Amino acid sequence: MLRELCIILLLTVIGIAYSLVGGLSPQPGAEPELQAGEIYLADAQTLNAIWVDARAIEEFEESHLPGALFFDESDWDTGLLELMNTWLMQPRPIVIYCGAEACDTSKRIAKRLRESLPDAEIYSLKGGSVSWQE
Amino acid sequence: MAGIRPRIPSTAYLILIGRLIVSAVFILAALPKIQDPAAFTTSVEGYRVVTGDLAVWVALALPWLELVAGFGLLIPQIRRGSALVIALLLIAFIILHASAWARGLDIRCGCFSAHESYKKPDYLWLIFRNLGLLTACGCVLIRDWQYPRQRSLREGASTS
Repeated sequence: MLRELCIILLLTVIGIAYSLVGGLSPQPGAEPELQAGEIYLADAQTLNAIWVDARAIEEFEESHLPGALFFDESDWDTGLLELMNTWLMQPRPIVIYCGAEACDTSKRIAKRLRESLPDAEIYSLKGGSVSWQE
Repeated sequence: MAGIRPRIPSTAYLILIGRLIVSAVFILAALPKIQDPAAFTTSVEGYRVVTGDLAVWVALALPWLELVAGFGLLIPQIRRGSALVIALLLIAFIILHASAWARGLDIRCGCFSAHESYKKPDYLWLIFRNLGLLTACGCVLIRDWQYPRQRSLREGASTS
């Protein structure tokens, strides 16, 4: 019986190795591709969302997504007021983006906005502005 | 006596059918989950027993164990071990479903596909189905345990 169980275990391990090496499975321990509250550009574009640009003003002036609102985190009340006006006129999902994959501003703003606008659907854009500039 | 063929008891056919059914169920259940372990991980996490990396490992290993044990049920060399593994898995599934039912979880079963709909699972049906499979597997296990003993007894009788 022990021999049979060892054979079953060995075959299972070979199968697991095949899944890992063949790329069928995500590597255990690897960072999940999409974290909670994040959204891919392709998905966000289907939402008719309110875009919020959380980058520096110079970057916003240089280029931004059509209709995007500039949001300066240091001037929270002004940004929130402008966003609330837009959102209350036509409630839609809100998608915030910052400079790149590694930037944390959009996630931080999204977290604070969820407290200020608990009824709103709020995401941070996966990959930041790099995702739509590519 | 050489011309007399041994009569195969009808229970042997029933055991064979039971073996084929359990084997087919486990093979068919394993294949879609092997193809999409990421989606199966979500189903595993839905039971709220394991999370994170452990859920990924479970979602990775469990379908392969089901597949190997499912095929193993048809291979004489590992038949008993496979039946034992399947019986233990079915007991674990019954406990998990009962636990999820008791906690009122609205989850995907993750039984036969990684992409099942989000409709509320019928826990009673799931538990009865697994009990049925467990019964069939138990019969196979008992039969396989008895078979070598019967064969050795026959061999002992023929030499004496």
